[in-house]
Amino acid sequence: MRSVPRRIVVALALPMLLSGCFAPGDGGSNTDAQARSAGRLRVALAVPPVQALSPYSNDATVLSKLSVVEGLTALDADGAAVPALAKSWIRKNPTLWVFELRKATFQDGTEVTAESVVNALDHANAAKTKPRVLSDVTLTVKAEDSDTVMVSTKTADPVLPLRLASPALGILSVKAYASDGTVSPVGTGTGPFKITKLIGKTKAALDRFDGYWGGKAKASGIDVTWIADGTARANAMRAGEVDIAEWIPTAQANLLDKNTRREVPSVRTDSLILNTRSGIFTDESLRRAAREAVNGSALVGSIFGGYADPAQGLFGPAVSWAAHKRVEVTGRAVAATTAEVESKTNGRTLRLAAYTNRAELPEAATVVQQQLEKAGFTVQQDVREYTQMEPDLLAGKYDALVFSRVTLLDTGDAVAYLASDFMSNGVYNIAGLKDSSVDQAITSAAEEGDTAQRQQKIMQAEAEILRTDAIVPLVHEKVVQGVSSSVEGVLLDPRERSLINVGTQLK
Amino acid sequence: MSSGTLSGSIAADARRARWFVAVGRVVAGAALLVTVALLPWLSRTDPALTVLRARSADQDPTPARLAAVREQLGLDEGPFSHLAHWLGGLPRGDAGISWVSGEPVLPQVTAAFAVSFTLMLGALVVTIAVAVLVSARTLYLGSRQRLRRESAGTGAAVLAALPKFLLASLLATVFGVWLGWFPSSGWTGPGSMVLPALALGLSSGAMIGGLLGHALPAAFHEPWVRTWRLCGFSPGRIAWHALRRTVAGVLPQFLPTVVALVGGAVAVEKIFNIPGLGRLALDAALAQDLPPLQTATLLLVLLGTAAGLLIQALRRTLLGPALRDAALPALHPAALPRRRSTGWVAGLCAFALFALVIAGLLRDPLHVDTAARLLVPSAAHPLGTDALGRDLLARLGHGALRTAGVALAVTAVSAVVGLLLGMAGRASAGLTEVMSTLPAVLAGLLTTAVTGPSVWGAACAVCLVAWTPYAAQAAALLEEERATGYLLASISLGAGPIHLLRRHLLPAVLPAVLRNAVLRLPTTVLVLASLGFLGLGEQPPTPEWGRLLSENQPYVELAPWTVLGPAGALVLLAVLAVSGMGSGRSRL
Repeated sequence: MRSVPRRIVVALALPMLLSGCFAPGDGGSNTDAQARSAGRLRVALAVPPVQALSPYSNDATVLSKLSVVEGLTALDADGAAVPALAKSWIRKNPTLWVFELRKATFQDGTEVTAESVVNALDHANAAKTKPRVLSDVTLTVKAEDSDTVMVSTKTADPVLPLRLASPALGILSVKAYASDGTVSPVGTGTGPFKITKLIGKTKAALDRFDGYWGGKAKASGIDVTWIADGTARANAMRAGEVDIAEWIPTAQANLLDKNTRREVPSVRTDSLILNTRSGIFTDESLRRAAREAVNGSALVGSIFGGYADPAQGLFGPAVSWAAHKRVEVTGRAVAATTAEVESKTNGRTLRLAAYTNRAELPEAATVVQQQLEKAGFTVQQDVREYTQMEPDLLAGKYDALVFSRVTLLDTGDAVAYLASDFMSNGVYNIAGLKDSSVDQAITSAAEEGDTAQRQQKIMQAEAEILRTDAIVPLVHEKVVQGVSSSVEGVLLDPRERSLINVGTQLK
Repeated sequence: MSSGTLSGSIAADARRARWFVAVGRVVAGAALLVTVALLPWLSRTDPALTVLRARSADQDPTPARLAAVREQLGLDEGPFSHLAHWLGGLPRGDAGISWVSGEPVLPQVTAAFAVSFTLMLGALVVTIAVAVLVSARTLYLGSRQRLRRESAGTGAAVLAALPKFLLASLLATVFGVWLGWFPSSGWTGPGSMVLPALALGLSSGAMIGGLLGHALPAAFHEPWVRTWRLCGFSPGRIAWHALRRTVAGVLPQFLPTVVALVGGAVAVEKIFNIPGLGRLALDAALAQDLPPLQTATLLLVLLGTAAGLLIQALRRTLLGPALRDAALPALHPAALPRRRSTGWVAGLCAFALFALVIAGLLRDPLHVDTAARLLVPSAAHPLGTDALGRDLLARLGHGALRTAGVALAVTAVSAVVGLLLGMAGRASAGLTEVMSTLPAVLAGLLTTAVTGPSVWGAACAVCLVAWTPYAAQAAALLEEERATGYLLASISLGAGPIHLLRRHLLPAVLPAVLRNAVLRLPTTVLVLASLGFLGLGEQPPTPEWGRLLSENQPYVELAPWTVLGPAGALVLLAVLAVSGMGSGRSRL
């Protein structure tokens, strides 16, 4: 009888002894102190890697945020292409471009040559799930000599240098490309930081790459932690566990110390998409009535806590050229009055969708619901996780959707977004828009080679789209980045592509 | 089952029963694995699309790209060839490669499992400590024969009603950020285990302590206690022995309450950024990434079964041969008078809730006023306003009936199902173990596949997993009851099965199951709300208490009143249920 408790204790303790596991590779509590003394930056990123940092997946942005990988070109603050691994380029004819490479070394010690560039771009071109940036173009890449690369496209592609700045088209050494189609950027990039260790979806360690062509980075390394929960990220920042935390949710931003809060206008626009294909919003006057009822600026001070700008159009302040090129919208339908709305909807409810992945959207949907109800609509919300509702969205099962969308995609060029979301054959055309003048305007912008002209035509297309009232822009989001006051040189990029580079360091 | 009167036939029965249980386990586990393997085909959501989304959120779903994914994963081969392929790899230690990441599944899943398992052990320690604290008073007084009045268990009810995710947020803020005693997030050493284990273990401990406190008076009422006391045994010995006697009946609760945390602690894992199995399984389920999902499910099934066996062994050890030889004294509650305060507490809670509902119903719960955002409680808004400027009192009042109604219905159905399955005894033991560790979210996903998004779907999903505690409890108590000497006496006097059930078995089980159900009521509310992101349950902006808590969670620190109101209401409901039941029963 006396042995009973002992047996229980043993039974309970055994598994405990067997499984004293914590995340592999952790260094205990003294790592913090060591990191500080060695001048390493501690960064909390929001989106955990899904494909072991493969550049052909979502993870590509991590590689550019941390300056691990570079393309032939890069984007400057205004979204223009500037030299990176290519020091210069010329357009020989509408479909042929020639890039002159600079002298650079891969992190594995090999030289960057025209051959390696051809190899890298060919792999991207042939990837099983082709990077989005190459979705509407096929590249043919040839090495002319050891430091000259010729890139030709089937049809004229005026934005090719912008495309090549995409992190998905970063140049990696031959070693990176495995025979089974996987790509590993660990120690194979050309940037000022090289990945030394990737631990699952939770941590990564980066060291300074001393052979970087642009000089030595000021920080000796980066310790990355992925924290998916926004509140947890803010907590880590506030507790001093990290030096930089990206994407602090608006609900938490005001808890952060004022001098650690950095806000950047983002290229993300939140809007209300109205389904023009089926349901009550096939009626243009009802769309107009909805547009007039909905007021996005009510969201700015409340839900977004000031971390947003009232919508000016599809493109907000983060797209620097948009404001002064904006085209007046004309030829809109006449809005239905409240009485007309009630008679025209005739008891049909408006199915308003929103997804939970971004915390602000369901809240915005509730505000929008009240605004629509004032205009005479009867509204029923459907709020779910995005992947749970996407098939229904694409099939047009909702009348309206509160949607958050990045307006400058991989190319840094707005046409890709307009084409996929608003053209009759667009694959992401949730509004179900079929409008010949919209199609025409977007096509004409896509074909324009001159940057200024192209931007003008993009704004013309914006006006055409807004005329249809298929989309009601609500707000332009701002991103709040948590940056400790002891860090300097953090890049605040509206495209969310860069964060740390050569000049970022602990004071 | 009522036939075994001779010890020889009992032994034969036991052998047969052991086979029964083993077969039940295998069948239940296999059924669950097959259902999970069918998920993408049941859900009518194209797995190619969900996998593509998981790989690259901004990727356009062009037909060509979807076809490429479909071909790469071999989706056209259908579910069964996938299942066969996955099963075939298992003996070689190959659990396939993830559809999303393209990496081997086994290392990922076992690493996450190890993390979650370690965390669960931490939570277990907290649970035991809290359970001891909660039942300490009864234990102390009982062992000294000074237990004059029954404890209503309000303390346990209050603790058990605290939402885990809220507790987690609070602990992370206070001890992680403000005081800096522990890391606010991450999984880097024993230090980072403290806060999440506390958040997980506190309510579980209260629940188990509540059950223990409920069962202990019966043990102290047994004749041996008086004898031992007269013989001069120390109160400590008596307490220990009474504990042994009662713990055996409560032990099965550890499976659905604590062991289930390995896969079911998603919210806490998120808040503390712990790379655990719950998050892994959830991500895999949402992306319909079958290989990791199946592997995680398999591990949970094995864990449930192993824990079930361990618990069974522990019970056998605690109760000794008495259980086998049908020589257990019956454990029947003493007719202790209720404490007068219990009635008062019940009345007070009822009044407070009633006032809350009436006052709330007179106000508009949906009116959004962005200018009146996060206002502190005032005369105009007695409980303050939420992030959209809606009146919290109104939302609580309007949500009360709906919340309590659905939660009560779900609890009642679960308890009845659990009771029935618990009576089925050995045959259902495997199913209980397997379902105990199944995360509610997974049940939710499987249910949405069938019912589509609705309130009804949410209730079904929760019922699907919520019966396990009652089944485990009923089975354990019935096993003890069947082993009592007087049951044999009854049978030999010619009592039929109905008589046995009505006069002996149900009275022995029902009060304990009721107490369990009441303690779990708040959890049911929260679990129902936790399925909201699947579209299950009431759609916003309809007020509902669980939703009020989760939608205001980000504002815990900025505007604590936004969660204090709903959390307080939930506590009131729990205390009312417990004390109401206490005073109701003592009047019978």
